Amino acid sequence: MRLLNKITLNLFAISLFIFLVGIVIFYYVLREQVDQNINLELKKREISINKEFDAAHSSINPTVNLNDTIIITPIQQPHRAETFSDTLLYNPETNKYAIYRQLGFVKTIHDQGYYIQIFKPLEETDRLIIRIIIMMNILVILIIITLIIANRHSSRQDWKVFYDTITKINNYDVNTHEEFLLQHSDIKEFEDLNRVLSTMTERIKSDYLNLKEYIENASHEIQTPLAIINSKMELLLQSGDMKEKQYKTVADAYEASNRLSRLNRTLILLAKIENRQFPESRPVNPAIMINHQLESLEDLIDSKKISIVRNLGDDVTVSMNPYLAEILFVNLIKNALRHNIAGGELNIGLSVKCLKIANSGPPLQVDPETLFKRFHTSSSSPESLGLGLSIVQKICTMYGFKVSYSYQDNMHVMQVVF
Amino acid sequence: MKILIVEDEKPLSDSMVEYLAEEGHLCEAVYNYLDATEKIGMYQYDIIVVDINLPDGNGLDLIRLIKKQSITLGIIIISALNSLENRIEGLEIGADHYLTKPFHLAELNAHLKSINRRISYGGSNQILFNEIKLIPDEHRAYVHDVEIILTKKEYELLLFFISNKNKVITKSGLAEYLWGDYMDLADSYDFIYTHIKNLRRKLLKKGCEDYIKTIYGLGYKFELS
Repeated sequence: MRLLNKITLNLFAISLFIFLVGIVIFYYVLREQVDQNINLELKKREISINKEFDAAHSSINPTVNLNDTIIITPIQQPHRAETFSDTLLYNPETNKYAIYRQLGFVKTIHDQGYYIQIFKPLEETDRLIIRIIIMMNILVILIIITLIIANRHSSRQDWKVFYDTITKINNYDVNTHEEFLLQHSDIKEFEDLNRVLSTMTERIKSDYLNLKEYIENASHEIQTPLAIINSKMELLLQSGDMKEKQYKTVADAYEASNRLSRLNRTLILLAKIENRQFPESRPVNPAIMINHQLESLEDLIDSKKISIVRNLGDDVTVSMNPYLAEILFVNLIKNALRHNIAGGELNIGLSVKCLKIANSGPPLQVDPETLFKRFHTSSSSPESLGLGLSIVQKICTMYGFKVSYSYQDNMHVMQVVF
Repeated sequence: MKILIVEDEKPLSDSMVEYLAEEGHLCEAVYNYLDATEKIGMYQYDIIVVDINLPDGNGLDLIRLIKKQSITLGIIIISALNSLENRIEGLEIGADHYLTKPFHLAELNAHLKSINRRISYGGSNQILFNEIKLIPDEHRAYVHDVEIILTKKEYELLLFFISNKNKVITKSGLAEYLWGDYMDLADSYDFIYTHIKNLRRKLLKKGCEDYIKTIYGLGYKFELS
């Protein structure tokens, strides 16, 4: 159904319903008011009859009920017309003037013209009218409020799918492995929109996956030729009958191809993390891993005269792939060592909630945002691939950890919140 | 040591054969699964180097076949597929080591030697190089029969040098041997420099000859002067 039709139909259905309900309510309310009014009249009649009875048995003049009053005045000119008019009459019972409707007409009896006036009080009917008006107003207001509420409610139902779609598109990540599922709607426009979006995301995803697969395949295929190049150059270097200049040339080429190998390997690792090819998780103890890493880097730490402050929670465990855990901690520690200064400090704090690795060093010259970007390297270490922190971030993202950088008290602080 | 190399990339296979032959090993090369099974059936080898992706079969199947026949045979897997499952599966079915392409020939050689030591002598042997004596089982090193205290990395470094003596050892080869894959090896060269400086100092202090030669811009060579 089209959105416009749907809205119109909704509004119509709601209005019809409220209208029918309204009529029924209005009928009963009105009925009640009229009954009350009639009851009141009857009550008055009762009083007046009682009074008349009382008067019949005594000498007291009966009080005149103005309702029953008929004033007859003889007149000379018999051609006065029949007239309706409002008039004020004094009611001796209440000592007040009240508004009456009067009808004056002429009656000729035996050639003598009489002007006859009869009265009806307006007070009661006025009250009825006011009550009806109030009632109607209340009803109309109720109808409007109900209409608004019902309409909003039904519209919200209709638009829910739309808002759901918006939220899902907003959160759409081509990298996630969740399927992009949109809700079904009975509104044509929304259904069209969802269909177009679904096809679009599917296409984007398949393009993306193709591209990724292509890169991965390429990376894998590159490994073998690289292995051949490297092995041949290694043999060449062993041959020993080269001049120093040739040696240098081969050495440079060898270094470059090694760098390419490492780069390629790291890119494959990144792709694997992205593809979640390290599924099995088990509780790992970061303290043990970190201590082990520090031990294996001991010589370097000594040579740089870096003092280490460890504050490791021994019984902290994190559920992750042990291999990736190792890579994560190594990269963080190595990063903290690389950018440390001679005689600097390395603080490692581990708690259930987070891991904090801080190292001394001058403030960053670049935007901290770029730290986690691929191929971001500082000028001081040209051999760096610039993929270390990128790997750290990928691993953290995979496990839903939050990694952040800050600079406090001349220390670079990397924090991983588990 | 008799080695069979099962690798379908002929140029790579040739490199391995050449490097290992220079070390005095007896190397044979086959380029597919079928030839490999044939060779294994006919001859006795100490170590087999297997590529996982062979044109007519899977290297892992070959390992299973070998392990049925001989438990003591040493096996090194070389593969471009560096997937963890492959690695774990390979090691589970009895491979001794897993190398990811591209690898360094020196690294392959070092692993071959270590596996051979384990198979031939049950690991309880010693490695002698002039006045240097290494006992791999205990990770101990002696110069003129006096023990020198080395850190773990220094010990590994010395072992690697002796395994590849008289060869040019590149810095990147050393780095990968010492720290494995997936390190951003940015300052590994600094690490290596530090390690070698310390190792050399410790050796010289005990009256060892200076065998470690620096080859500028490339790496090192461990040789008799």
